Amino acid sequence: MPITDDQIFSIRDIIDSQLETREKRRIGRVSDIEAIWQEDGTLVLSSLVIGPQALAGRIASPIRSIVRFVLRDRFDHRIPLDDVEDFGPTLRLRGSAADYPVGQSDAWIANHILRWIPGSGH
Amino acid sequence: MLRKRCAGPLLLVLLTVTGCQLTQSAFSRTVGNAGAVFSAASTTLSYAHEGKITSAYAQASFVNYQSELDGLDQQLPSQQGAPDKRTVQHLLDLYRPAIQAVIQPCLEESCHWQAQVAALNRASQAFLMAGG
Amino acid sequence: MKKWLSITLGIVTATGGFLDAGTIATSGESGARFGLGLIWACLIATVAIILLVEMMGRFSAISKKTYAEAIRENFGFKFYLLPLLSEVIAESILLAAEIGGIAIALSLMTGISWRILFPPAAFLVFAMAWRAPFDWIENAPALLGLVTLSFIVGIIALGGPSHQLLSTLWKPEVKQGELADYLYLVAATLGATISPYLLYFYSSGAREEHWTSNSLLLNRVTAIVGMSFGSLGSIALIFLGAMVLQPLNMQGSSLGELGLSMAKALGPFGALLFAVALFATCLGAALEVVLGVSYNIAQGFGWEWGEDKKPVEAARFNLVLIIFLLVAVAIGLMGIDPLQLALAGSTVIALFLPISLFPFLVLMNDPQYLRDKTNGRFSNIAIICILLIAFVVAFVSIPLEILSGGG
Repeated sequence: MPITDDQIFSIRDIIDSQLETREKRRIGRVSDIEAIWQEDGTLVLSSLVIGPQALAGRIASPIRSIVRFVLRDRFDHRIPLDDVEDFGPTLRLRGSAADYPVGQSDAWIANHILRWIPGSGH
Repeated sequence: MLRKRCAGPLLLVLLTVTGCQLTQSAFSRTVGNAGAVFSAASTTLSYAHEGKITSAYAQASFVNYQSELDGLDQQLPSQQGAPDKRTVQHLLDLYRPAIQAVIQPCLEESCHWQAQVAALNRASQAFLMAGG
Repeated sequence: MKKWLSITLGIVTATGGFLDAGTIATSGESGARFGLGLIWACLIATVAIILLVEMMGRFSAISKKTYAEAIRENFGFKFYLLPLLSEVIAESILLAAEIGGIAIALSLMTGISWRILFPPAAFLVFAMAWRAPFDWIENAPALLGLVTLSFIVGIIALGGPSHQLLSTLWKPEVKQGELADYLYLVAATLGATISPYLLYFYSSGAREEHWTSNSLLLNRVTAIVGMSFGSLGSIALIFLGAMVLQPLNMQGSSLGELGLSMAKALGPFGALLFAVALFATCLGAALEVVLGVSYNIAQGFGWEWGEDKKPVEAARFNLVLIIFLLVAVAIGLMGIDPLQLALAGSTVIALFLPISLFPFLVLMNDPQYLRDKTNGRFSNIAIICILLIAFVVAFVSIPLEILSGGG
């Protein structure tokens, strides 16, 4: 459902929502949201964050530091808010799965792990 | 924290309300269970020879009975609630031929399977009685 | 016509969800140790699960969301971790128990030790979960599971219960020192029956079958008929245990023992029927458990999921499935008797039941998900009662397990 001017969104409407690409492929859920301070003092939402570090941070901040130490930012990805075409319980993105690093996780597992198992459809 | 503080009074209430013993000693429980398993073994062996179950069924069942009864002779003497040494020794004397029947149950017609059933029954009765 | 063929979704959910290694274990032991004195617990559990399954189906049909999706979206990630963690622990144990049940069923038919048959049994579960379309997973164990009707034939063949036995229905005989065991079996019966994996599986199944608001009658019928059918099998096992095992002083502490009652009733064919029933119900349950927890994780984290997709199309979902099966095989190879594993798994489920069921109370009253089909007063009172039972069961399950030495 497209945003109308009189709809008020809370963080809760976006965080934990399902992310779907243009071709209706599910790639993950919003783990966190980044915001930037503007010059006029307002806080503007800039990008969606998806990844284990962000999730760890939602449990407790010290855990995020530990997870960051282990994973070193390799599995956390950002998607600019502009890429979101439709808001709602499911966020529809403009791009296709290949456009987003987090959308490539399934493909990576398919190509590197599942391919060795017969019947995987690889 | 709440659990610890409530568990005590809760158990006390249960005990007073029911007026009966909540649980048995470890010894009673062990011998009671063993008696039941010996009975199951005896029934299984009899059924196999009465044609009520196939020998495949019986064989598979005995594997389970064996793992339930294994090591009982080591466990018994030192269990909490064990009675005098004579009773325990009597139980162990009956345990030995019975466990042999469980480890190598005689499923053909040609062997002394009736003796095995008798040994299992004796052990079962004695263990169940010791369990109370 | 296809809609009414879909009633098998309810029957397999019952066959695998209600009847499984856990309920077979608790039913058999209940009958052997306490006669008919635990049937009341079985009936309460049946009513509870019928209500929960109907609500779950209604929720997914109208909101087009599964339980796990709704929990994460509505309560946030932090809360979602609680049912997630409890599911991961409980279902790992339970999956090992179900595969063990399949292995024992095969051992009773072939005479080969169940430990050797455990890996092939796990492989069978894997093969079906990996490639079989949702339809097959629905139908195959369900049809085999109809064999549980033979338990009733067994009761009739034995001449039915005596008057003395029937009196234990309302006056259970609990001997000195057995109260903890009795109460433990009550908790285990409730935990074995009201299993959250069933709900995750059923709500995902409703989505796999593309249920809509037109499916509500179908949902209601499958919930009531399916779960009642499962309950019938459970109660029949209690009767058989009470009629045959109890007089012989057995305690029903191994799965093979429970088949002896069918052997007495119908001879070797009866024993075979028991083994087939055990096989079918544990296979159905193993599939529901492994899929239920995989659905939970994939949906909670927003990955692709679905049994009608090729594995590479839902790679993370299928990888989780494989990992769980490997963990179950590892647990199984430790050699712990499947019946004991089933009881342990049921205890863990009982412990976390309030957390797993609490979201129901909120979600079933949210018009954003359910539009005009939110819960009426009766349904809400029912959920509160079930939650109260769940709390009591959770509270006493660990102390009772300790007191009764693990049942």
